[in-house]
Amino acid sequence: MTPSTRTPSSEADNDYNLNVMNDTVLEVSGLKTWFYTRRGIVKAVNGVDFALKKGECLCLVGESGCGKSVTALSILRLFDSPPGKIVEGRVLYGGVDLATCPTAYLRQVRGKDIAMVFQNAQSALNPVFTVGDQILEQINTHGGLSHSEAVSKAKSLLEEMRIPEAERALRMYPHQMSGGMKQRAMIAMSLSCDPTILIADEPTTAVDVTIRAQIISILHELKARRNMSIIFITHDLSLVSEIGDRAAVVYAGKVVEVAPVETILKKPAHPYTVGLISCLPDISTDAERLPSIPGSAPNPIDVPAGCPFHPRCPKVMDICRTVEPEFCQLSPVQATACHLYDTGVKG
Amino acid sequence: MTEATKAPRRISSGFNSRLAGYYWERLKKNRLSLVGLGFIALLALLGIFGPLFAQDPQHTDFNVKNLPPLGFSIQESIYDIKTDSFTTTTLPGRPDHPLGTDSKGRDMLAMLISGSRISLLVGLLATGIAIFLGTLIGVLAAYAGGWVDNVLMRFTDIMMTFPFFLLLVLIVFILGPSLTIIVAVIGLTGWTGAARLIRSEALSLRTRDFITASKALGASDSRVIFNHMIPNVISLVIIMATLSIPGVIMAEAALSFIGMGDPMSTSWGTILNTGQHTMDTAWWVAVEPGIMLFLTVLSFNFLGDGLRDAFDPHSII
Repeated sequence: MTPSTRTPSSEADNDYNLNVMNDTVLEVSGLKTWFYTRRGIVKAVNGVDFALKKGECLCLVGESGCGKSVTALSILRLFDSPPGKIVEGRVLYGGVDLATCPTAYLRQVRGKDIAMVFQNAQSALNPVFTVGDQILEQINTHGGLSHSEAVSKAKSLLEEMRIPEAERALRMYPHQMSGGMKQRAMIAMSLSCDPTILIADEPTTAVDVTIRAQIISILHELKARRNMSIIFITHDLSLVSEIGDRAAVVYAGKVVEVAPVETILKKPAHPYTVGLISCLPDISTDAERLPSIPGSAPNPIDVPAGCPFHPRCPKVMDICRTVEPEFCQLSPVQATACHLYDTGVKG
Repeated sequence: MTEATKAPRRISSGFNSRLAGYYWERLKKNRLSLVGLGFIALLALLGIFGPLFAQDPQHTDFNVKNLPPLGFSIQESIYDIKTDSFTTTTLPGRPDHPLGTDSKGRDMLAMLISGSRISLLVGLLATGIAIFLGTLIGVLAAYAGGWVDNVLMRFTDIMMTFPFFLLLVLIVFILGPSLTIIVAVIGLTGWTGAARLIRSEALSLRTRDFITASKALGASDSRVIFNHMIPNVISLVIIMATLSIPGVIMAEAALSFIGMGDPMSTSWGTILNTGQHTMDTAWWVAVEPGIMLFLTVLSFNFLGDGLRDAFDPHSII
């Protein structure tokens, strides 16, 4: 099931394989992406594990600078190298480790199997070409369509994104579009080769709430109609509850808790997740001050020993300062890396 | 490479007439650059079609040597051996040589037209080569980064340390003077400034999201460079080219002036060279090509300035 040889006729094998693999389309394990800078080694991603299932939306949640975006870039190896380097870990897609595979193979995967949508559509579209030309270029990159077929596909993509007057929009330059249109055009562009996985890096940060709602509903549709898997990166827990099926909480370049969104919101296990949830403003209480997690996110050059969260953790124990916690499965769907739940230490 | 050379068909034609119209509107507001553009257009027309009408610039006729331009006249004293006295005659300019003749009786107008052809040809070709190389090297260095960038930029630094004109003289001396060699040498040495400038522009371009975005959607390196980076620096390239043409024209003129130009062609520098010996008697031979050089260089500079303002989105015109 290599992306380059996949044909419609092998759909059946595809399904069979996925069933065997427990529906997992992408598996990231022990991923470490470090940046070798003059000031030291920036451990932006320092051991990220998660698995993405077919047709689900996994949210990567965390504070600014915790390594969410670098994780996303690492999946497709899009960070600058040097200084960046994947020092450890695997990114398994279709039986191939994307962290180590040749660049030529990776280029096949990019766009065709795994596509990415960026935070700021304003800068993610080339200012000197029309939106239509850019979508056409994407369609042509992975080839196979005649010019008129490609044009009609580009048009239908824009229509799917609910862009009015798609025909006209194809001829527009990015600066002639509104922010929301640009973001939707960007999503259309990334869908041009029908990818199986869409990585969306804070796609709603730069747009207003109405456009945000539109984009969220478009993503919902994509998931339902195309059975697409989405990795949604955000710092906004309310967005997570709107779109996510499962969430992975990232702290200091590590995933500290993975669980279905409902569980994360109602029964968070890791003290950091608990802290994040308690920071959400609650309309039913009359608090003067919003609660916050004391301290600040650790410097990625100098990550604390043991559990990276221990300096800020209200439930810190001696072991937290020295031993890095292992992942422990709390239930079939919930796992967290915290000594509180280690068998034997618990209580 | 194959991916990039197989240029994708676009919805709109590659040439964006609306955008071009917009820049033209902006350029039009700068009167000086329009004057420059007009003079260059005139020069180009003269260079292309002039030789069809003008006389042969190499044709010598000592009967009409040192004729002044139309509207001027010179006093010529001739010693008469019979009367043992000087007779002074006034020699006016003649309509068949409207700009006068030089000391060998060659028609100045024909020579200047031939010179404009050479100057524009050398200017455009050499600048074309130089800017092409500079753009490629600059974008490549910025895009590749790391050791490639280092090697290319240190090579640029080394190229810059050579005294350009001395190198030109040396190579022409070794390989012999011909227009091809002059164009090649100026083109192959003149790219350094462009490379540096384009690199700095491309460096900031490289970190823009749309470059990462196109890579994220599977674009190859050559596609990113040719389809995304270069189209975004093209306005800078046009400005650079316009502003570096005068330097090239001057270099060719200087080379011809010191007698190392192509002996088979008449360039403005060559005329200047012949004119310097007769400055006291036939001043026009040196002054006329001088004026042409002056106006041409000024025109390109005006046009370049106008283009820079027109392309700069921050400038209010």
